Amino acid sequence: MILLDVKNLTLELELAGEWVKALDKINLVINQGQIHALVGESGSGKSLIVKAIVGALPNKRWKITADRMNWRGQDLLSMSVQKRREIVKSDISVIFQNPINSLDPLLNLGDQLKQSINIAALPKHLFWQRNQYKNRRVEELLHRVGIKNHERFLKTYPHQIPSNLLQKFMVAMALASDPKLIIADDPTRGMEVTSKAQILRLLSRVNQVKDTSILFVSHDLLAISSMSHCMTVLYSGQTVETGELQQLRKRAYHPYTQALLDSAPSFRKDLPPKSPLTTLAGTIPTLHHLPIGCRLGPRCPRARKECVVTPSPRKIHGHYYSCHYPLHWAGR
Amino acid sequence: MDLINVENIRFEDKISRLFTPARTVFSLGPVNFDLQAGETLAIIGDNGSGKSLLAKLLVGLETPSSGKILLNGLALSTAHHKQKCHDIRMIFQNSTGSLNPGITVGAMLEEPLILNTELNVQERLSKIDNTLRLVGLLDDHKFFYRHMLSDGQKQRVALAKALILDPKVIVADEPFAALDPSVRSQTVNLLMGLQRDLGLGFIFISHNLGIVRHVADKILVMENGAVIESGKTDVIFNWPKEDYTKRLIETHQQLVNSQYN
Amino acid sequence: MAQFNLYQEEYHPSPWQYTWIAFKENHIAVVGLFCLLFFVFITLFSPIIAPFDPTYQTTGDLLIPPAWFDNGGISHLLGTDALGRDMLSRVLYGCRMTFGISVLLVLLTMLIGVGIGAVAGMSKGFRSSFVNHTLDSIKAIPTLLIAIIIVAILGTGLVNSMWAIMLALIPQFVHQTREFISNEMQKEYVMASKLDGASNIQLFFRTILPNMGEVLVVQCTLALSISVLDISALGFLNLGAQGSLPELGHMLSEGIEVAYLAPWTIAIPGGAIFLMMISINLVGDGLRSALRNRLLHS
Repeated sequence: MILLDVKNLTLELELAGEWVKALDKINLVINQGQIHALVGESGSGKSLIVKAIVGALPNKRWKITADRMNWRGQDLLSMSVQKRREIVKSDISVIFQNPINSLDPLLNLGDQLKQSINIAALPKHLFWQRNQYKNRRVEELLHRVGIKNHERFLKTYPHQIPSNLLQKFMVAMALASDPKLIIADDPTRGMEVTSKAQILRLLSRVNQVKDTSILFVSHDLLAISSMSHCMTVLYSGQTVETGELQQLRKRAYHPYTQALLDSAPSFRKDLPPKSPLTTLAGTIPTLHHLPIGCRLGPRCPRARKECVVTPSPRKIHGHYYSCHYPLHWAGR
Repeated sequence: MDLINVENIRFEDKISRLFTPARTVFSLGPVNFDLQAGETLAIIGDNGSGKSLLAKLLVGLETPSSGKILLNGLALSTAHHKQKCHDIRMIFQNSTGSLNPGITVGAMLEEPLILNTELNVQERLSKIDNTLRLVGLLDDHKFFYRHMLSDGQKQRVALAKALILDPKVIVADEPFAALDPSVRSQTVNLLMGLQRDLGLGFIFISHNLGIVRHVADKILVMENGAVIESGKTDVIFNWPKEDYTKRLIETHQQLVNSQYN
Repeated sequence: MAQFNLYQEEYHPSPWQYTWIAFKENHIAVVGLFCLLFFVFITLFSPIIAPFDPTYQTTGDLLIPPAWFDNGGISHLLGTDALGRDMLSRVLYGCRMTFGISVLLVLLTMLIGVGIGAVAGMSKGFRSSFVNHTLDSIKAIPTLLIAIIIVAILGTGLVNSMWAIMLALIPQFVHQTREFISNEMQKEYVMASKLDGASNIQLFFRTILPNMGEVLVVQCTLALSISVLDISALGFLNLGAQGSLPELGHMLSEGIEVAYLAPWTIAIPGGAIFLMMISINLVGDGLRSALRNRLLHS
């Protein structure tokens, strides 16, 4: 079943009196029970997409248009703000990259976790039993994310806890409302390998046990490839390539995807140490100076005259790509 | 002969109050290692294991409580401050923060030259131009301010600032962590190229074991202020001895090998 | 960039230009700036513009109303006061005195205050905390009160009141500078210059000072408005300018005696003070918000 279906999402914002397309015709489909990775470098609009989905963008300085933006069949863009909040509250949870900034420093962790429990979802009960239910639920949640010493943990405040444990707690908070979709916005940034692996294992276990979909936003390909089913690659606010992860890794059609895959030395076993890594020349364009057409154009090794026209997405076996001159194409 | 030789460096962080005796909050060391010209040493370990502190000790931001650092067989002490500035240079993790927002790149690069060399204006200018070109920027970049540069360019300027005194050793605290993948591999390539051409010793701290494996000749593993293991990259990655190292390497290998099937 | 740009030339203003661009957005502040420039003009050229000597008493023409009244005359555009002195020249000279002295005071105070603040900010431990706490406790008292106390000790007079205001203003500069420097000292770029082998003095002049300009300008406008107000307040209380000196506050207190008879003798100097204060504060406010916008921008 399709949970989230976004088609041609365009987001414009005003910069120095001119409307700039920060997101240009983004397509994104998330199925039930899937871990979907959203990959892109800084400035590619990953966070903007997350904000557009949960409706956290103020209406004033932004223009959001989309052919389709459906959550389980309901159109998110045309519904009232109230209703949209309702849906986001009950069905979608977000885990942010920096746990210490997204927690209230003045409340202890137990209170914060209790606040995020959805009361309506609890079984019918009398009001004096409510607290008991909540406590039991909190305990259960913490055990599920692997925090053992729950009684002491719940009494502490955010600054007393190391950040990798806090990120686990954020996962527990995200699970509290039994969401259909968890959006993890770069949850493992700046972590060292062991704690990163823990968080990733935790997320994929949540996905397997509860059949919760996860939208995993990151630029860490190592983390993504260890757990995701599908991957969407973004560059400068354009979807570059979408498809099943394995297929993408085996045969990437878009030069940017290939460059991204090549840039991680861990992926290439045949690479002799100290040999130069393959890389794209140049830097990511700023919003003020977006190239026309395919935005990779100026950096692309395969760019030709036609690349000044934005390529339309093409599809082969459930694998979408937007490029005029895809890699691996001559042989097919 | 070794380029740099670190012997039994220790550091103790003490808090002293007026009425209570000083107590040690964190102690580092003893650390021993040596590095040849053109070699790369990577320091890995948990947050709070004293990696950054070790880097600061090496460049002289903190003074060690005992032990010594030999450069080309000569002991470095505070008396040789100028020489230390010349030969051991540091690159910070956050390239944005390590560039002065109020002055141009040219002025930033000129500062170490004025302070440490006897060059005149003309020589300084040509030195700046050469160094900028060395790291892949243009001469015109010396008129730029910090906010006009992209992330990759900032990292290059930071590198130029380190290279301008023709150092022998470069110490870098997580130089790649804040960079995007494509810019990161550019920077890695640049550093490896410069190392090959100039015969620099390169000491860096990193979380990214993929890059460590690719770039480093030697590895130093730290836990709680102590060096628990050190040796050649191949040896550490294939036959780790300590539990902590084993866990680290295993997790990394798992991440690399495990793919959703 | 609304206009069509054939070559995509990157225009990157320097930090100062950024501040100016953000300042221009605020039209009221620009009006304030023009007003301030007008006062600067008066300060520089009042001897040329003024029609009479401000202390010259025309014995026949006492309390002549301004020209737009029925019995006013064209020779005294703004009328005369109780001693027959021309109000226009007096106000022009008064602006010169009040505003000019204030600017001078603020510049001197800035030099001294930034000096002490830099020493306090770069040093650690007892020295720093001593300077900090002493000056902070002084800062808690209003500047006018301190000025009055100092005048009480030194005796009245314009020069003494200048000393008093200067001493009262110094703590604010020291505080601001110390705060800024100890903030900057934590940043990596300062650490980087320390590694280049810069001594503390070089660190201050080469590394920190270029970033401090705007903070200082904002603090200067604040101090300027305080010192204008204090000088005229002391003059009004007969603690500052004495005798026939054309100083705005002093003119107010002289006019009070004939306020019912000749309201223009207090309305005109009062209006001048008001305009001065408003323009200074508008510019200061505009600068502060411009600075904030710029920091958001970069």
